[in-house]
Amino acid sequence: MNSLQRALRSVIRKPIKSILLLLVMITVCLFLLCGMACRNANVQTQDTTRQAIGAGLRLDANEKNRSKRLTECSQKIGEGQEGSYGGVHQEKLETAYGTQWLVWCDNSFDCLQISDIEKLAVVPGISDYNISTCITAVNPVGFDRIEDPDMDQTNDMGGVVLIGNRKMELDSNVLSGNVTLKDGRMVTEKDQDVCVISEQLADQDHLVVGDKIGFNDYHDPEHSQVHEATIIGIYQTEQLMSPLMAGDTFRSENIIFTDLRFPEKAEGSKNNPCYEHAYFQVGDVDDYDAVKAAVSTADIEWERYDLIDRNGNMSTMSSNFNDLEKISTLLILITFAAGFIMLFLIFVFWTKNRNYEIGILLSLGYKKRNVLGQLFAEAFITALLAFVISFTLAPAASSVAADYLVSAQAEQAELEKNINADKVTYSTVQSEQTVVGVEVDITKEMFLICGAGMVILTAVSIGTAGIGILKKNPKDILSELV
Amino acid sequence: MILEAKNVSYFYKAQKDKLILENVNYGFEPGKMYALLGPSGSGKTTLLSLLAGLDIPTKGEILYDGNPITARDLTEHRKHHISLVFQSYNLIDYLTVVENVKLGGQKTPEPILDKMGIGKEFWKRNVLQLSGGQQQRVAIARALASDANVLLADEPTGNLDEATAWDVIDLLKRIAHEEGKCVIVVTHSKELAGSVDIAIRMDQLGK
Repeated sequence: MNSLQRALRSVIRKPIKSILLLLVMITVCLFLLCGMACRNANVQTQDTTRQAIGAGLRLDANEKNRSKRLTECSQKIGEGQEGSYGGVHQEKLETAYGTQWLVWCDNSFDCLQISDIEKLAVVPGISDYNISTCITAVNPVGFDRIEDPDMDQTNDMGGVVLIGNRKMELDSNVLSGNVTLKDGRMVTEKDQDVCVISEQLADQDHLVVGDKIGFNDYHDPEHSQVHEATIIGIYQTEQLMSPLMAGDTFRSENIIFTDLRFPEKAEGSKNNPCYEHAYFQVGDVDDYDAVKAAVSTADIEWERYDLIDRNGNMSTMSSNFNDLEKISTLLILITFAAGFIMLFLIFVFWTKNRNYEIGILLSLGYKKRNVLGQLFAEAFITALLAFVISFTLAPAASSVAADYLVSAQAEQAELEKNINADKVTYSTVQSEQTVVGVEVDITKEMFLICGAGMVILTAVSIGTAGIGILKKNPKDILSELV
Repeated sequence: MILEAKNVSYFYKAQKDKLILENVNYGFEPGKMYALLGPSGSGKTTLLSLLAGLDIPTKGEILYDGNPITARDLTEHRKHHISLVFQSYNLIDYLTVVENVKLGGQKTPEPILDKMGIGKEFWKRNVLQLSGGQQQRVAIARALASDANVLLADEPTGNLDEATAWDVIDLLKRIAHEEGKCVIVVTHSKELAGSVDIAIRMDQLGK
C-alpha cells in the first residue's frame, strides 16, 4: 500500500483531523485571495483615479529671491532717494511724525515672467497650462456685492476681487473640485472681457449668463475708467473659499473669475499684469516624475521661482487607496505568517499524535521519506479541497472584505479629520475625496498565485514539522512500541 | 543459522554504566520457535530490538544469513528479513483488516487471514471493531504477508485471555514448523516458554 493510498484513507476515515485542517486551509486561502483581490482593486482604481484626476506642477515666485531683488532695487534707487527701479518705487512722505519712506512694488515686480512660463509650457509631457493672476480687488459697478449686514465696513475697501485665468478649468479651486459650474461655461484662453460669478452674487443681483457687469479702480471709483465684462458662467462651491484677507471684499461669494488680462484693466494697470501662479498639467500622470525632472532642467531663471508638486488631489485621493493597498498587503503578509504558524502547529500536532502510526510503518520497513510522503499527500489532498471550496467562496468573501476595508478606512479618515480639526489650516479648500467603494475581482492569476502560495505554505509547514521524523532514530519512535 | 547475535553488548547512551546486554552470543535456526525468557529489565526486549534492526549494538554485531545486518540499510533488514508482532497489536486504526495486512508485504491478504481464522465477514471491518484475539491474529497475518524468514514477537499474548493466548502460541508454532520460519517470542511466562522448541533464559545469554 503506497503513501497516496494510505493518505486518501487517512483523510476520509479520520474526518475530525481532516476537517480541522481543511477549515484552517480554507481560511488561509480565502484571506490570501481577499487580500490579493483588494490589493488588485486598489492598484487598478488608483491608476484610473490618478489618470482621471490628473497632476501637475505649479510655478510660484520664490519669497527669498523676492526680498533679495527688493533690496537690490532699493540700492539701485539709492538710500534717501526717491525714484523707481525694476517695479520698485521709493517715495518720501512728510507726516506729522516726520519724514516717512514708502516703498512699494507694482505688478511688474511681482509678476511671473511670461517668457519663462512659455518655456515651461512646451516641455515634453506638459499637456496644457494655466496662468492665474493675483487676487485683484476692484470696485463693482452696476451691481452690489455680498455684504455681511452686521459687519462694520469702515475699513473695507468696498470692492470685490477678481482672479484672472488663462484657462479657468485649471484653476486650483476648480481642480480641487470645490468650484463647479452651475450655469454657462468657464473662461478659456480665447476669451476677453468675460467673467464667471458666484451663484450668490447672481441671485442677489438677478444676474444671468449674458449680462454685463462693470469694474473700476477702487482707489478712485468716481473717476477711474469702468471696464465691462460679460457674464459667461455662474459657479457654485462645495465649501466657501477661504478669504485671502479679512473683510467682505475678499469673501468667497465676491470672488469673480475673469479672463487672464481683465483684472489689470479693471484695477487701472493695463498692460501691467500680475501673474501669481502658473500651473502645468502633466499629460500622463505615470510620467509625472520624468516630466518634473524635464521641467526642472528648463532654461529659466530658477532662483526666482519655486516649483511645487501640485498633485494634492492625486495624493489625497491616492492616499485613501494607498492605505487600502497597505492594509491589503499587510493582510496577505499576516495571512502568510499566521497560516504558516497555524499549519506548522497542526502538522507538529499531527506528527506527535501519529508517532504510533509512524512507528508501526517504520517497524514494517517503510522508509522515513515514505512516511513523510504520506503526510505530504494528506496535506495536499486537503489543500486541494480547500482550494476548490475557497475559489467558490472567494468572490463573495473578497467583496465583503473590500467593503469592510473601505468602511474601516473611511472611518479612520473621518477620525483623523476630527482629530486634526482646528489644528491645520489650508490655503485652499480641501476637497472631499473619500473612497466609497472599490470593484473587486478574482482573476486567474490570483488563483494561480494563491495556489502556488498554498503549496509553498503547506510544503514549508509540513517540511518543518516533519524534520522531527527525519531526525529521530527509529528506536526512539518505536521505543514505546517494542 | 538464519539470525545470530555475535559478541553483542548494549548499554544506553545516557546511562553508560548500566549494561543491558554483555557479550551475548547466540544463533537462531529456521523452522524453530524460540522464547526469550526473563524478568523485566533483563534485556529481552532490547535483544529483540537489536535482532529486528531497530537499534544497533554498542559492541558486537547481528548477522542475518551470515552477513551483518548493518552491511545494508536497516530498513531493508526490517522490510525483507524480519517481521514484527507487538503486545499491543499495533494495527493502524483507519485501515480495514485487509488493508492492515497489506501493509505487511506483497502477499495476497485473504488466504493468510483465512489461515489465521479471521472470517470473511471481518475483512472489510475497521480493526478497532475486532476483539483483542482477533486483532492479534490480524497483526500476525500482517507479519506473514511479507517474505521475511524471521518473525519476532514481543509479548504477543500479553493482552489476551488464556485460551486466546494458547491459540496464538499454537499459531506461531505452526508458522515455525509448517512454514519453516524462525519465530522468536519475548515472554515472561514460564508456561509459554515451556511450550516452545527452545526457551532461552536471558541470564544464560551472557549477562
